[in-house]
Amino acid sequence: MKKVILASLLIAGSLVADSYFGSSGKRGVAPVTDEFYKKECASCHFAYQPGLLPSKSWEKMMGNLSNHFGTDASLDPVDNKTILNYLVENSAEKSTQYKRSKKINESVPRNETPIAITETKYFIKKHREIPLRLIEQKEVASLANCIACHTTADTGSYSERAIKIPNYGKWEDD
Amino acid sequence: MKKILLFSLIAVSFIQAKELNPQMRGFMNDLNIEAKKENPNIQGFDYARGELIFTTKKIGKKDNIISCVTCHTNDLSKNGLNERTNKVIEPLSPSANPKRFTDVKEVKKWLRRNFRDVYNREGTALEQGDVITYIINKK
Repeated sequence: MKKVILASLLIAGSLVADSYFGSSGKRGVAPVTDEFYKKECASCHFAYQPGLLPSKSWEKMMGNLSNHFGTDASLDPVDNKTILNYLVENSAEKSTQYKRSKKINESVPRNETPIAITETKYFIKKHREIPLRLIEQKEVASLANCIACHTTADTGSYSERAIKIPNYGKWEDD
Repeated sequence: MKKILLFSLIAVSFIQAKELNPQMRGFMNDLNIEAKKENPNIQGFDYARGELIFTTKKIGKKDNIISCVTCHTNDLSKNGLNERTNKVIEPLSPSANPKRFTDVKEVKKWLRRNFRDVYNREGTALEQGDVITYIINKK
């Protein structure tokens, strides 16, 4: 009986959530699903979700992996193509049902192709108030280290409630 | 009795960790043939030369001082750290991390990338063989 009640509550809850956020509205970005992408890219850095950049950015970035933000991250051509396909198929402009992807995509001008998520206008706007010392401290190292402060970043959720900045704590925007 | 068994198991795993699989032995053999082509006088790979490659500090692409030790540390049985991204790098030593030096494609990829990052060029066959010899045998 308890199980039935719980199930009904869950269903009812998700219906309410759906009507609240709209049928197309999902929070955050779609989580990473590709194991090969994880293996190849996340051995060096956080596994950025493909929905954090538009496809033109992924194409440009994957075209110059031998100088990947100052590091050689070259792949053989077949593996490069496999990963690029995954990134492009799930890029920001193709994931606009997710709030963050939609906003990032909208913030990239037609004539610009940023290759860093940290260079997109939406990202810059969201992070501009954070003091440099909190970014440069050794627990964080750079703004590219999402998971250092966004404790649920690996699930695709960048919700403000889940922010915990090392040696600072919760981040209240207002 | 249990102690003897445990000891034997540890001994066996130690020997296995240092023994390269057939795929990797083939790769080392190819490197050896290539190195002899480049210089017929060489007498196999050398731990000390490998150590020098691993520990020599160079000016990296971003004018920073860099060596293999920068990220992998001097204790190859411990985790390293990618200082740029704060990502932990699992131990390089096969005795601490048995996955290491088992997949030739993976080994070639990292040798290419890391030589380019530290030395601004790819390693010669001799250099690659030397540095692998150092890493897999370092205590």
